[in-house]
Amino acid sequence: MDPVNSDDRRLRFEAAAPAVIDAVRRFLARRTDPATADDVLQETLLVCWRRFDEMPAEAVVPWAYGVARNCLANAERSRRRQGRLLARIWRLDRPAAVSAAPDLPDHDLTTAMGSLRAEDAELLRLWAWEELSPSEIAVVLGVSANAASIRLHRARQRLRDELRKAGATAGHEESTEGSRP
Amino acid sequence: MTDDDDLRARLRRADPAADLPTLDTSRLLESTMTATTTTPRRTIPLLTLAAALVLIAALGSWWVLRPADEAGAPTAAPTVTDLTAPGIAAKCVEPSAGQLREAADFAFAGTVTGIDGTTVTLRVTKVYRGAGADQVRVAQAGDVSETMLGSGRFEIGRDYLVAASQGSVLICGYSGEAASPGLEELYLSAF
Repeated sequence: MDPVNSDDRRLRFEAAAPAVIDAVRRFLARRTDPATADDVLQETLLVCWRRFDEMPAEAVVPWAYGVARNCLANAERSRRRQGRLLARIWRLDRPAAVSAAPDLPDHDLTTAMGSLRAEDAELLRLWAWEELSPSEIAVVLGVSANAASIRLHRARQRLRDELRKAGATAGHEESTEGSRP
Repeated sequence: MTDDDDLRARLRRADPAADLPTLDTSRLLESTMTATTTTPRRTIPLLTLAAALVLIAALGSWWVLRPADEAGAPTAAPTVTDLTAPGIAAKCVEPSAGQLREAADFAFAGTVTGIDGTTVTLRVTKVYRGAGADQVRVAQAGDVSETMLGSGRFEIGRDYLVAASQGSVLICGYSGEAASPGLEELYLSAF
């Protein structure tokens, strides 16, 4: 029997997949438009299925995020290259970092996240939205746990700085959360 | 609570995926595990399509396969050819207008006027491509006809869109009930 498609492998994948699908769906919904998210989810899952044997058992979901991240980057690249209509939709419809969700009143946070470097903002998203630990973030980004930890620390610091700036400019604070004591 | 916890909580409240509806994952999972070697992108349930390739129908396009000695045969006398099934190894990719335009040498809209055993007769209402014909007869195998979009088989009185290449009905989402979602649009943009 072809070991690649053995029943055992299928069963193990079926057991692991629902958690992966749910997590990756959220990951993509936070970062792209719904149509692209659907495509990339399918593609990500396919890669996971093919490379299932490489998946680290202790970090299945972060590993899948890493795959999704690459698939999403590919999707965006090929779309830019082809310059299709979708490229316009992407620009018009794209969730602009945090601000995409309609009922998010936290303008200061939106502004602050928007003014961060893309890598810093992504680190913070992985940390807060995907709720990953530094070592899991390291799996996603393909860096050492130590590096992820240091970068995350700095990114948080920068976000706090930006939040303070945004709060000062606006002249008010909607909530005290996130501000310094 | 530390600063970090506060910050994380504040970010979390801004999570755009917080109220993402749940998804039935079984179909996605099935299509993933079925697609072991071919192209990754597919939006049609693969099981259906795999079953679909247990082929049924052959379209008799009279001008392609008419016997030489019937050169004067009227268009109302099409011939019917039975083809063998290609087996289930084939897989379908998502139908596209470009592919349809390329592959089909005959495409028409028609209403089923009669079914005699395994032979389905359609009255042609519109020819999208190929020489005109009044009537087309298609061989329909027994009960397995999942190759067709819609109900999966020809039924008397219903309208169909059928595309064919060299006398053989194109399946994989290229032929079916005229009311199938998207099928007419596909024809309109292909021809």
